[in-house]
Amino acid sequence: MGQCTVSTYTLSGVQAIEVDAEVDVGAGLPTFAIVGLADLAVQEARERVRSAVRAAGYDVPNARVVVNLAPGPVRKHGTGFDLPIALGMLTATKQLPQEVARRCAAIGELSLDGSVRPVAGMLAYALAARDAGLALIGPASAEPAADLEGLEYHPLRQLSELRGGLPSARAHSNCQRAASPAGGLLDFGEVAGHELAKRALTIAAAGGHNVLMVGPPGSGKTMLARRLPTILPELSDTERLQTALIHSVAGLDETAALAGVRPFRAPHHSASIAGLVGGGSPPRPGEASLAHNGVLFLDEMPEFGPAALQALRQPLEDGTITLVRAEGRLRFPARFALVGASNPCPCGFFGDPQRRCGCPAAVVARYQGRIGGPLMDRIDLVIDVSRVDPAVILRPTPGDDSASMRAQVAAVRGLAARRDLGPTAQLSGGALLQACGLTSDSRRALERVARTQHLSGRGVTRLLRVARTVADLEGSSAVAAEHIAEVVGFRAKGER
Amino acid sequence: MSADVWPGDASAFEIGRDDPRYPALLATTDEPPEVLRGFGDPSALEPGLAVVGARKATPYGLAAATLFAGWAASAGYTIVSGAAVGCDQAAHRAALEAGGVTVAVLGSGADVAYPRASGNLLRSIAQRGCVVSELDWGFPPAKWTFRARNRIIAGLSAALLVLEAGCPSGTFITADRALDAGRDVLVVPGSIFAPECRGPNRLLRQGATPVCEVAELADILAPLLGAPRRSIDASGELCGLASDDAVLSALRTNPMRPDDVARALGLDIVTAARRIGALEGLGAVRKYPDGRYGPC
Repeated sequence: MGQCTVSTYTLSGVQAIEVDAEVDVGAGLPTFAIVGLADLAVQEARERVRSAVRAAGYDVPNARVVVNLAPGPVRKHGTGFDLPIALGMLTATKQLPQEVARRCAAIGELSLDGSVRPVAGMLAYALAARDAGLALIGPASAEPAADLEGLEYHPLRQLSELRGGLPSARAHSNCQRAASPAGGLLDFGEVAGHELAKRALTIAAAGGHNVLMVGPPGSGKTMLARRLPTILPELSDTERLQTALIHSVAGLDETAALAGVRPFRAPHHSASIAGLVGGGSPPRPGEASLAHNGVLFLDEMPEFGPAALQALRQPLEDGTITLVRAEGRLRFPARFALVGASNPCPCGFFGDPQRRCGCPAAVVARYQGRIGGPLMDRIDLVIDVSRVDPAVILRPTPGDDSASMRAQVAAVRGLAARRDLGPTAQLSGGALLQACGLTSDSRRALERVARTQHLSGRGVTRLLRVARTVADLEGSSAVAAEHIAEVVGFRAKGER
Repeated sequence: MSADVWPGDASAFEIGRDDPRYPALLATTDEPPEVLRGFGDPSALEPGLAVVGARKATPYGLAAATLFAGWAASAGYTIVSGAAVGCDQAAHRAALEAGGVTVAVLGSGADVAYPRASGNLLRSIAQRGCVVSELDWGFPPAKWTFRARNRIIAGLSAALLVLEAGCPSGTFITADRALDAGRDVLVVPGSIFAPECRGPNRLLRQGATPVCEVAELADILAPLLGAPRRSIDASGELCGLASDDAVLSALRTNPMRPDDVARALGLDIVTAARRIGALEGLGAVRKYPDGRYGPC
């Protein structure tokens, strides 16, 4: 009979917070109780732990077992507490040496036959354990793919393996993994007749600008968007970890992110607010967070629920999502490039030279207004994508391929970083003017455009931001009149 | 009234009634001034378009002054006005910016800048046209002098364009004088609720000609002052574009998308997009709902 405390973790947002699993085995009627704001999945640990311990060949104490999960006020979710509870029980009953529980944190779900199953968020737990200076015992099938320097991870397949002492840990060091090409076999080189759209996407990728593609069905909007990740630069080391952490917490495979591939998320337009920006119980990251450091592609953007779309305003503004729940505030990182695609009207043929659009004018206006002004303000580039003449598709002229576009993008990102004024897509006011270094020539061109196109101050700001990126693409330190001329066409219809 | 003498220089002139340089059109009016004193080039005193409006101009009046005076000056017509703050100065400035000729008729001696801040403007006007007055050198401005000079503005011009004017007002008097002299009075219509537009709207009811766009002004001025030196249709030309611009003529004949333009003219997409963007910025072409570009 005795007591033992094992360190373990629960998730709060994308962070693992430490929880102590205190196990007390004492005299009394043989019962098994878990206290400490544990949800249903945690309560069910009793049956799993009892069977797994027995199957692993240990004794289940014929005594009163109380498990307390501290700190008490924090709500505990999930099945990861099975392993620490089992460890605590075995140590309290002297079936395992004290030393294991003292040195190690533990997390993992147990199956009835004693094998250890993976749980979501292993990367978060591994980070927390490393930072606390503890070794981590966890499922062998979910060893964090990240190379975290200083992490001591003991992979466990079966609870019974503990009889032979701790399984040996693999050495972790901060070494790079080779990235597999993003987007698989996709390449911009195979897109025919959309040279302007490709140019616009290069600009968007280089400057981190948000994009909306407007065009009739079948014109190639989705095809273009799917190839955007192939020209994005690899994730930096810190970005890899941030993105992988979110994917790990959401229970998704984080190996692609760890290999440096930028995420590309394309939620369906029936997505709910919680699905898009995160939520649920326990709160999980939404698509916007899963697209952190990558691309969030909203196909048929006006078909999304207005509330869900407007919920994207906060992450577009400051790169994080704050969820306020009864149990507290949770912050999910969500800095992504937004790529929207939209038909010009419900039937899709408004303005099409060949097919007649059957939509009444009021319906067209309402459809185009569905994205909403505040969201449109965050979209710097609007691209008209038109159906390509079959003759052009059948006899394509060689255009830019992904490799050359990616090289241009990488060069521009380097320039913007050296300017040290933040991402180009977030420049405004004085910083934007400073970055642009307008000459009297380009200033006159800009004023002329603003006058003839009746641009507002906001419209001018957006125009300048994109022109800055175009100038970067040429390696020009000042924005010239021709750079401004190039971006005049990337404004929304009727934009002021 | 306080006034300032703006530096006169060697280009000062004095023209009497018997001087061959005396403007013939002015001589036909009821009370032509005995003598015209001023600075600049007296040959600028040829028949022109007078553009007058209120001192307390609204943005609407200023925009109209800039639009019409700017076009008329670039089309080769002389812009005559009174150098007063508001519409007058906007008209002079637009004419200077368009590279045209402009004449300021002052309500004080031609060497007196009133208001003081207008000295710089008068200097630029004297370089590209002239500044004149019937009053003696150094004559201070007074209420009656402005009323009197309005008849000279009307007399020097073949047509008078009224922008904004109260009723009664100095601008309104100029219009009356122009009618007395048998000149065409053109009016930019305004809101029925705006006091600044009461004058123009009243003139309209009395039979003045409304002017709502540059093309209308061009139609009216051509028989009076000769055909414009630059046509409106080739709007690209106004802004220094060659009319044989391949992209512009391609889009005029057949509206196209930038990708099509690049293919048709054998340009790369960046060049094509920039040429089209420059044309759109000049207002020479516009984007259609389907993404094609074509004439406005």
